[in-house]
Amino acid sequence: MSSRQPPAALLWATLGAVVIGGAGLALRSGRRAARPLPLALHPGRSSTVRAARRLNRAAGVLATSVLADSAVEHYRGSFHNRAMIAPLISGGLSLVVSLHGNADKRAGAHSVRDAVYALALLTGLIGTAFHLYNVGKKPGGFRWENLFYGAPLGAPAALLLSGSTGYLAERVRDTPRGRIPRIAGFPAGRTVAAATALGLLGTVAEAGLLHFRGAFNDPFMFAPVTLPPLSALCMANAALGPRRRQRWLTRALLRLTVCLGLAGVGFHLRGINRQMGGWHNVRQNLLNGPPIPAPPSFSGLALAGLAALGLMEDHPDG
Amino acid sequence: MAERYPGYDVLAKRNTPSWNAKTREVIDARLAVSREPRFFSPGEWRTLWALCDRIVPQPRDRAPVPLPAYVDEKLYTGQLDGYRYAQLPVQGEAWRRGLAALEAEAQSACGAPFTQLDPAQQDALLGRMQRGELTNPAWQGMPCQLFFEHRVLPDITHAYYAHPTAWNEIGFGGPASPRGYARMGLDRRDPWEAPRALPTTHGTASAQGHRSDG
Amino acid sequence: MTDDPRESPRAARGRAPDVFRPGGWVPMREFRDDELVDFAVVGTGAGGAPLIARLAESGFSVVGLDAGPYYRPLEDFASDEREQSKLYWLDERIVEGANPIVMGGKNSGKAVGGSTVHFAMVSLRFRPEWFRSRSLLGYGADWPVDWREMWHYYGIAEQALRIAGPVHYPWGPWRPRYPYRAHELNGAAELLARGAEALGMRWTPTPLATVSAPRAHDHGRSPPCVYRGFCRFGCSTNAKQSQLVTFIPRALAAGAEIRDLAMVGRIEVGADGRVSGVHYHREGRWHFQRARHVVVAGYAIETPRLLLASATDRYPNGLANSSGLVGRYLMTQSNQAVFGTMAQEVRWYKGPPSLAVTEHWNYDDHKDFFGGYCWMAQGPLPVEWATIQTSARGLWGQALRDAMEKYNYQVGLKMVGEMLPDERNRVTLAEEKDQYGLRVARIHYSWGANDKALIQHALDQMQMSLEAVGARDLFRQEDDTNHLAGTARMGTDPASSVVNPDGRSWDIPNLWVCDGSVFPTTGGVNPSLTITSLALRMADRIRALAARSEL
Repeated sequence: MSSRQPPAALLWATLGAVVIGGAGLALRSGRRAARPLPLALHPGRSSTVRAARRLNRAAGVLATSVLADSAVEHYRGSFHNRAMIAPLISGGLSLVVSLHGNADKRAGAHSVRDAVYALALLTGLIGTAFHLYNVGKKPGGFRWENLFYGAPLGAPAALLLSGSTGYLAERVRDTPRGRIPRIAGFPAGRTVAAATALGLLGTVAEAGLLHFRGAFNDPFMFAPVTLPPLSALCMANAALGPRRRQRWLTRALLRLTVCLGLAGVGFHLRGINRQMGGWHNVRQNLLNGPPIPAPPSFSGLALAGLAALGLMEDHPDG
Repeated sequence: MAERYPGYDVLAKRNTPSWNAKTREVIDARLAVSREPRFFSPGEWRTLWALCDRIVPQPRDRAPVPLPAYVDEKLYTGQLDGYRYAQLPVQGEAWRRGLAALEAEAQSACGAPFTQLDPAQQDALLGRMQRGELTNPAWQGMPCQLFFEHRVLPDITHAYYAHPTAWNEIGFGGPASPRGYARMGLDRRDPWEAPRALPTTHGTASAQGHRSDG
Repeated sequence: MTDDPRESPRAARGRAPDVFRPGGWVPMREFRDDELVDFAVVGTGAGGAPLIARLAESGFSVVGLDAGPYYRPLEDFASDEREQSKLYWLDERIVEGANPIVMGGKNSGKAVGGSTVHFAMVSLRFRPEWFRSRSLLGYGADWPVDWREMWHYYGIAEQALRIAGPVHYPWGPWRPRYPYRAHELNGAAELLARGAEALGMRWTPTPLATVSAPRAHDHGRSPPCVYRGFCRFGCSTNAKQSQLVTFIPRALAAGAEIRDLAMVGRIEVGADGRVSGVHYHREGRWHFQRARHVVVAGYAIETPRLLLASATDRYPNGLANSSGLVGRYLMTQSNQAVFGTMAQEVRWYKGPPSLAVTEHWNYDDHKDFFGGYCWMAQGPLPVEWATIQTSARGLWGQALRDAMEKYNYQVGLKMVGEMLPDERNRVTLAEEKDQYGLRVARIHYSWGANDKALIQHALDQMQMSLEAVGARDLFRQEDDTNHLAGTARMGTDPASSVVNPDGRSWDIPNLWVCDGSVFPTTGGVNPSLTITSLALRMADRIRALAARSEL
């Protein structure tokens, strides 16, 4: 086997954490269900919860992408540093709590979800530092080729974005009755839109870097550096610009961006086929070929953007 | 000398993506080399065996790579190298003359055929050949140093290191098509490569003070 | 009839192998021997293939003849050093002199695609000053071409071959970005990089003619390199952009004919003193192809061999040889190395052998010798490594087996160094004959004082570099050479050159040379990109001459 595999114990620990985390959430939600509140008393509550659940979904999509992508890439890196198991654990937990949050129709932040999302945010930050160190210590430091082949600088950010999207979901859900959802004093819709815009631009940079490494050998490789920037532009406008009743163009672009993320998986599967030996040489091509779990991070961000639009449309004065 | 990669066998990857059809065909033929001489006479064959045993001594606990068979095959099929030193005759003639000269030198130095000398005597004779110190008329003007350097060493050692047994011994990845390698960095291996080597047991490397050779 | 490409020709009966599809064929236009084609090109390598393709694309009728087989890389290439020596020119050549040159796989291929089928794909540009070596740097001879013109053709060649190179190249004038990105460094290359940095030198990922991403040719696909490490033994994935998968398919699509297993033995000369065609041996007998022009592109040994062997009463010293320089000024390049052992596993068999290079001493003139050199990372496979251990260290017996066991911990730096032109280094004809009944080439070579000084400097530098990364048990390979050049040099004066700046021989206006033989100096980089660029330039020059009716 390669130079270092995570000890089986760690892998069981990951699975165990995910199971225990899920169980913990289930237990907690059981207690909470004992106190239903009449919906009529909270006219704005259902739209808030709807927005929060959308954000949980977005966080979940991002977490799935991170879990699968970091698993493959860190396996390629032979888990040579034990910390490389962290994004698998954190991503896995984020996925579980996001599923939970998606199913959860109640108002109020959930402490376990909050904790897991905060952990994801932290893991993403620390991961970025690790990746910066990994690239910086290669001969030539931050040269193009080390950015191509070293630890991808933008990849841990996807975990960071999953965590922050989830964190935003909980803050939105936590809105007291009769109030406009706000995050750190700012209207939630605009905050999420701004975060989405930044997240999209970061993901564009990452995809653009790796497609540049691939010399844009297929014209479709231009898609993730043309469409999502437009979405990001519209999102930035939504965040900072004048309020507007309808943003049909932004909504359309975001929906296209969701599709783009899914289409990317298809393109990457086709790309594996174009490597020498195709699927017969899967053990090499899964590592050297285009990363299959990466494109859905665009989908996750676009879903967050759609949630932001929903918030802004539901609370136009916010 | 203990094995450094025990259990590693390049042939075990024969039906994996590391081998293609042409490679299987070629290695099969390599392993099925004729064990009977087609170029050399029986006497030359015996001398060649003794010579190969000294140039590449092989462990007794393993099926030997039949080095003389590969030398014989090269000469029988007329496989050339693409160049010949002006002072050397064509390879077949060089080998016949060289083997005969080696026997003549053995007789004149130790009074016995080369095949009957003990390994130390054989090695001493070969060392003198390498240094150009043998001058028996049997060489017929062929410089013994050139014969040793450009026929004996390459023809015999190439045969050894072109054999899967040798690849296993040194931990070479072996055939690699269509599947090559994903992990190319220092201290990184793909699962289909040889595992990390066991530490060396012989004196040379440890005497140099290596932190570890595996 | 067997399908062994070494036994019977594959390019025949209106079709040629489709190298991109197993068992596939592409249509090939054929010419009759008695048809007067515009160009008969002898050799389909780095010089011949681009010329054939560009001439055909320009509307000329072209036949390319190659002595070698027409391989199908996806099917014919095994992962085995010994088997794949079939790619080399293994026919007998006699070597002599104070420093006889090692031939075969070091510099001589025999295949459609020439030596590019087995080359290490290193694609470097000349330093611009080298085109004026004598005027600007005080040694050798000036080239009769301007560096800016070459820079233009280098760019075209790099695009055509989709060279995978670094985003920023550290030396020389600005060049357009390489079409594909550089490959990832392997362990051996990383050690070159760290060693160079320790000496305060720049280094770079090597620009290589193998793709780092899928390539869609007009007529097939190249997948990206799988880093199998058998590059110099034939690329069985078609990631390597040899002539066989680049300009040859272009040539076929443009209506050229390629004849494999066609050894040209003699160029025929008519009563008017011009060449009239080539005699070639194919399928057991001699044929004669008529041609308006003959281009010899057999590389630095076969080109002079053919010109000398084509001597007639009118040209008793061989064709194009009024200067007496056909076969003279043979140059090779020094290829010495320093090797060592690391504590870490290097496993240098993964990936192309030379993934990193430093050209520092090509551009730094603080030297007390002429010329330059670069050095590259290395990755010898077992048989080649055994050869180095036996020849450089004299190891055999148990000592050899013990040394070879450290295979996965070895590291090495190998130079490509400029050797100066000396007219005593030459190719002549021996009395001995080969399997075609043709006189064998005799190659005489001795290093000069400058060559030796350059080599020692390089060995010292490479040793320091390896010491700087902690390699132990260092040893030197003091005797090795590789690429060839010089035996039909180009120039502006018929008295001191064989061909003019267009590659056209001074003596016979319809006899041309298009390969490394025309180099007046050899430079301190691998020659293939320069050969291809000259060929592309020559095609344009021929078109221009034809347009002015000066052909």
